Amino acid sequence: MGDVILKVSGLKKNYGKVEALKGIDFEVKKGEIFALIGPNGAGKTTTLRIVATLLTPTDGKVEFMGYDLKKNPDKIREGITYLPEEAGAYKNLTGLDYLKFMASFYAESPRDVDIYIERAMSIIGFKDRLKDKVGTYSKGMIRKLLLARALMTKPKLAILDEPTSGLDVINSLEVREVIKEFVKEGVSVLLSSHNMLEIDFLSDRVAIIDKGRILEIGEPKALKQKYSAENLEEVFRRLVQ
Amino acid sequence: MRKFLNLLKKEIKELITLQLVISLLFTVTLFYFIGSIVQSEVKKIEEKRGIYVLNLDDSQESKILLDGLSHAGFEVNILDEENKDKAIEYAKNSDINLLIVIPEGFGQAASEFQFKDIEAYSFIRSFSMGGSVNAAVVDQVISQINEIISNNFLKANFPDLNPEDIKNPIQSKGFVVVKDVVAEGSASEVSSIVYSQSIFIPVILMMVIVFSSQMVLSAMAMEKQDKTLETLLTVPVSRKQIAIAKMVASGLVGLLSAVIYMLGFRYYMNGLMGDITTSNQLNDLIQRLGLQYTSADYALLGISIFFAILCALGLTIILGVMVENLKSAQTMILPLTFLVMLPYFISMFSDINSLSLPIRVLVMLIPFSHPFIASQNILLRNYDVVFYGIAYMLVVFVILIFICGRIFSTDKVLTMKLRFGKKNLLDR
Ligand SMILES: Nc1ncnc2c1ncn2[C@@H]1O[C@H](COP(=O)(O)OP(=O)(O)OP(=O)(O)O)[C@@H](O)[C@H]1O
Ligand SMILES: [Mg+2]
Repeated sequence: MGDVILKVSGLKKNYGKVEALKGIDFEVKKGEIFALIGPNGAGKTTTLRIVATLLTPTDGKVEFMGYDLKKNPDKIREGITYLPEEAGAYKNLTGLDYLKFMASFYAESPRDVDIYIERAMSIIGFKDRLKDKVGTYSKGMIRKLLLARALMTKPKLAILDEPTSGLDVINSLEVREVIKEFVKEGVSVLLSSHNMLEIDFLSDRVAIIDKGRILEIGEPKALKQKYSAENLEEVFRRLVQ
Repeated sequence: MRKFLNLLKKEIKELITLQLVISLLFTVTLFYFIGSIVQSEVKKIEEKRGIYVLNLDDSQESKILLDGLSHAGFEVNILDEENKDKAIEYAKNSDINLLIVIPEGFGQAASEFQFKDIEAYSFIRSFSMGGSVNAAVVDQVISQINEIISNNFLKANFPDLNPEDIKNPIQSKGFVVVKDVVAEGSASEVSSIVYSQSIFIPVILMMVIVFSSQMVLSAMAMEKQDKTLETLLTVPVSRKQIAIAKMVASGLVGLLSAVIYMLGFRYYMNGLMGDITTSNQLNDLIQRLGLQYTSADYALLGISIFFAILCALGLTIILGVMVENLKSAQTMILPLTFLVMLPYFISMFSDINSLSLPIRVLVMLIPFSHPFIASQNILLRNYDVVFYGIAYMLVVFVILIFICGRIFSTDKVLTMKLRFGKKNLLDR
């Protein structure tokens, strides 16, 4: 854990009159899991979407591996993958088709596609249904399919918006393990979540965000100590209230 | 290129849904059924030239008359009943549609050049297309009878002259003029043939445009509804390629559906009008007048149609950015369909040049008008209008692509929305 892979500074975003982000600063280091936590409407998704090159910031700067977001969005897209909240997959494709379709954008050779698919399958766990159309999948299956596609290419930075939303306890646990494993292999992760237990278990550092501002950044342990709280939930409540 | 093909493959896979295939099959089957029903009706009608005759007069004159009718192509069946009432009764109970009664003493009277009326009984058994044809057959029979009688009379009295020359001493000679070619022929025949041979062009055109636009819109709507667009836009592929792949796939699938529909439709039309067979003479005339598409003409028309489709796709992909789900996509397709229908109907039922100036300008501003205009003006060799139309559509397309590129390269592609009705505050 050393080099900074993503640097966000002074980030602002207005939707018309709504000031969704009022100046956000944080860094993600190589090989760490960085989490954004905050109440509904705090600006987590907005931040992630900007970093994922979907939205243009009103003000501020985003640098990924030395590339500027505004000048080189293409370079950034090569190094990241993004898992949107509540997203679906193409209903008329099979799960396997979907993975192949996505893999081909990152693969240098057909061999790479096979490797990616292999990796995705080990994440997904329901291999027998991969030849069925996505339209027949349950919500949780789609979530795992999308998560698998976000991780299978081993991106430099995986941006995961509420990765375990809609998953049951067992599946959430599995997904957390998978994320940790990929981080060990060199993937950095920027994620958001509502689940404080999850964040506590998963992340190396967290940023508590509310009303478009970051209130606190640090390791979960340090934050708990600082606010002499039993868990992150308490820290969160003190800060937000 | 590999990435583009990959995108294209996915778009096509997404568009060819079970729903689309079923609705295509359904429509084609429907056309096929209506077509075969109509065709068998038409056959029945054609068979109706069979007539039944009760001949109460047994003279030479009535025999000649009946021979003449057979000669003119009627299938004459002689009934063997002793009087009129019995014959009517018999006809009622069998499948006879038309009964002709030649009265007693018809021959005797005719030889003195006094005529007794021939009675014709039509049996109406339904009010389908066949019913009205019956009446037409009666008229044909009667006029044939008159023809036979008067020709025989004229031949008997003026053996040196052709009866036709006596009845119609002067005949008109029609000429048709197209641009600088003059040819002998009938204007109404020429226009009806040209009409029937080129009617399918605007129909195809309209279908292709409407189908492809619908495809683009629903493709965009699905991406938004399922939020797959968000993932796609973060993938390392240029946004231009994403947009173009959508347009190409929709154009191809739209074209394919239109062709399939057209095949069904053609079958239906054939059933309705019979195979359009024209005499060699008429074909010659049409060729001489140049009222036939040459391969160069078809190419020109193809280019015009191609640009219209490009405009439609460009316009719909921009509209597609603004739709949120399939429902709003359906609302959006309506005004677009209207934009295509307007020039379609105008070109079907009237002439764009005969409209008043402001309306004409308005119609010319709609890019989709130009292939309709072209389909007629190519035949009339007014190529200027055709080229102008193509140039205009090219300009429109370039502008649309420029706008589309701008939208796709900003976050408007995700945030731009057209709202119908109340603003939903809970909605992001
Ligand atoms: N497209 C949009 N148009 C207008 N306002 C928006 C839009 N997207 C987000 N906002 C506003 O920006 C603010 C931040 O929204 P954002 O989605 O980033 O929150 P969040 O932290 O992800 O919330 P949640 O936990 O509910 O997902 C909210 O006030 C929201 O209403
Ligand atoms: Mg969110």
